[in-house]
Amino acid sequence: MKSNRTFISATLVRIGGPALLLCVFCLGISARGFAEEKPQPTTSPWAIQVEPIQAEEGQLPPDFSMATYENLVTQLVKTDKFQEVFRSGDHQTDGVPNLLVLHMTLLNFERGSQTKRAVTTVGGATKVKVHLKVTTRDGNAVLEKDVQGTVRIFGENLKATDDLAKDIAKTLSEASLPAPAKGAGQ
Amino acid sequence: MPNLHKNPRACIFLLLSLLLLLCTSLFGQTDTSASQGVSGVRSTHILGLEGVKRNLRGTLTVQPGGLDFTASGAHGTIAIASIQDVFTAQDSRQTGGKALTVLKMGVPYGGGRVVSLFSHEKLDSLTIEYRDANGGLHGVVFTMPLGQATVLKKQLVDLGVHVSIPVASQPEKPDAGGTKQ
Repeated sequence: MKSNRTFISATLVRIGGPALLLCVFCLGISARGFAEEKPQPTTSPWAIQVEPIQAEEGQLPPDFSMATYENLVTQLVKTDKFQEVFRSGDHQTDGVPNLLVLHMTLLNFERGSQTKRAVTTVGGATKVKVHLKVTTRDGNAVLEKDVQGTVRIFGENLKATDDLAKDIAKTLSEASLPAPAKGAGQ
Repeated sequence: MPNLHKNPRACIFLLLSLLLLLCTSLFGQTDTSASQGVSGVRSTHILGLEGVKRNLRGTLTVQPGGLDFTASGAHGTIAIASIQDVFTAQDSRQTGGKALTVLKMGVPYGGGRVVSLFSHEKLDSLTIEYRDANGGLHGVVFTMPLGQATVLKKQLVDLGVHVSIPVASQPEKPDAGGTKQ
């Protein structure tokens, strides 16, 4: 009787180990397949030019302004939504027919404190809120929205600009942009 | 005087707090070698420099050709002629990085919050706007020990860089209390 039990437990250990490994392997493969099924964003026929945030003098610190601009360029490239992402003042846009221009106007800036956040958890948030306006080359507005970037608990103050850039890129990525008019902007 | 050996929890809490304060003081020490004037300033590249990773620590030097950032395995230069504007500002941050943040979270009775009160440092930020060969606008942000950004800005102005806000009159606002603008 006792030897029977030992045999059964030994068999279970022998089979159980590889079976567990197989399960983990299968789960990994199915998870990978699931990830691959995620719909890819469709590339629009538009290219986009990013302009820095417009703000009254002294309203937005230059490091926040430039960090938002740089983060936004990086995030927009990552979305694969646009044919090309141009920086403000880039001469190469002269030959681009379907160009959108992204303008941002500062609505509110609240500089918090990382120490305050760490001590109180609820206070000291840094917030940057902008009005987003995407226009065609001839000035027709295609998209308008208010977007806010915040850092509430962890991270330095500049992390709010990263959050803002991600939100703007997501907004643009999910927006249904109109088809460019034939010969527009040429 | 509380009897500590009768209350082991309080004893552990006190020991942990002391250990964290010790770590904080070690992490929070300002690198005195940073104040090297013209020869180079120890700084952190926050973002913007082509081909250089974010949050990389290195040395920032003003040279006749441009602003030079060198770190282990990375190098970036901004030509003087391409610089459009230079700004300096002050900020403050928590020292110790992610490791200390996790440690602080583990301290019982909110002891981590007390440690946070002492584990912060003020720093300067240097923002540079420049244009590439195609005219595209770029922005680069560096952080460095307090007082060093103004020195670098002065050196850049001496080399002929245009700045919209003169060196002496630039308002520098630390984020100590948090301001709404």
